[in-house]
Amino acid sequence: MIDELLAPRYLGWLLHGFFNTVVLAAVVCACATLVGFVLCVLRAVDRGGVSVAVRAYLSVFRNTPLLVQLFFWYFGVSSLFPEGWLEWLNTPHTWRVVALHVMWPPFEYLAGFVGLTLYTSAFIAEELRAGVRAVPAGQVAAGLAQGFTPAQVWRHIVMPQALRIALGPVLGQYMNAIKNSSLTMAIGLAELSYASRQVETETFKTFQAFGVATALYIAMIVLIEWGGQYLRRRVAYPH
Amino acid sequence: MDFSVIGDNLSYLMLGAWPEGPLGGAALTLVLSVSSALASSAIGLALGVALAVTQGATHRALLAFVGFFRAIPVIMLIFWAYFLLPIVLHIDAPALGTVVCSLSLIGGAYLAHSVWAGISSLPRGQWHAARALGMRPWQVMRWVILPQALPIMAPSFVNQWISLTKDTSLAYVIGVGELSFVAAQVSNRVMVHPTEIFLFVGAVYYLVCASLELCANRLARRYAVPVR
Repeated sequence: MIDELLAPRYLGWLLHGFFNTVVLAAVVCACATLVGFVLCVLRAVDRGGVSVAVRAYLSVFRNTPLLVQLFFWYFGVSSLFPEGWLEWLNTPHTWRVVALHVMWPPFEYLAGFVGLTLYTSAFIAEELRAGVRAVPAGQVAAGLAQGFTPAQVWRHIVMPQALRIALGPVLGQYMNAIKNSSLTMAIGLAELSYASRQVETETFKTFQAFGVATALYIAMIVLIEWGGQYLRRRVAYPH
Repeated sequence: MDFSVIGDNLSYLMLGAWPEGPLGGAALTLVLSVSSALASSAIGLALGVALAVTQGATHRALLAFVGFFRAIPVIMLIFWAYFLLPIVLHIDAPALGTVVCSLSLIGGAYLAHSVWAGISSLPRGQWHAARALGMRPWQVMRWVILPQALPIMAPSFVNQWISLTKDTSLAYVIGVGELSFVAAQVSNRVMVHPTEIFLFVGAVYYLVCASLELCANRLARRYAVPVR
């Protein structure tokens, strides 16, 4: 079954899919961390309507399948657009920003990015909140007693500890984001799983096509795992 | 917003072509979710206990095995199972079976770590005391360790069930007619109101998963380890 490898042309498809997965996952992780952080802070500082809204957001995005969310953004929201928007979004646009040509991505990239980011942000917000809750209440009381303002306590006492505690779980969510990016193939985004399926259909070399894709996914996960172990040693408080 | 499209297709979204044809829609999603939850619990329990009692090379091999299933996307595993099971085992694996098999393996791999952690969280003295009373190792596991560890792990099992329920939607990629698949089908057929269709489908999943989450939280509070 493994008598011959894939032709360079098909390896090229897989590498291109791999590239798309890496870029998508990286952008999603960065944005989802930002959104998740804001959600976590909003929920912590507010006791009224904002907190309720954040909780509803977290509940809805965590308790529905990512695939349905992607379909919703891709098919559902696009049908609500006014006449002409979708055509504009789907036609290639380029801008010159300084010396770079900025290409406007096709709509499935946009929908995939939005769907993955909102989904991932809900999980990251919960991991960050767990980190904040793990900081003993006495730390806050001690900080306030020392004359810190609540904002200073948050900034200099709670956050440094909470982020260290949450580091592992948040990296776990980054791994999930990489794996979840495979779902965007259902809306036609040519990422790694999509490419492997395409190569499989074209060449009938099931083992090679899925093997290369699987190995690349495992490589990404292992890299984050190692990076996480290194990072955790670097930022750990000395005992 | 016009939700009449839901009413017109309600029976198809809920039951598929049943009773004239095969079961589908939300009912099939439930069947997939319950059967993979049961199978993944069994796999997770077995692997978790194995992780807790093994050492050395066997332990590392088990960790690598579990790690593999935790590292690959569910879609990739479904592809592997769907395209390779018939070739390798020379059996005609039905798509439904492939999905349950993939979901149970991935769910089981995640649960294995929870079970292992739950067992490791018990004081070593429990083992020593039970052994000193003359119990065999498997008796210690059965009568002393697991009855204490399982309640601690209960929330993990329910949370994993939530993940599995959401992941059943991935059966879509190999054309199993569960809720997401029939929703996309209806959406493609009627060509209008995709927003309403996917909002409705999301709400159905939400109902199931959010009630499971309530259960998990209640279990977690009930069996919370008291802070010393």
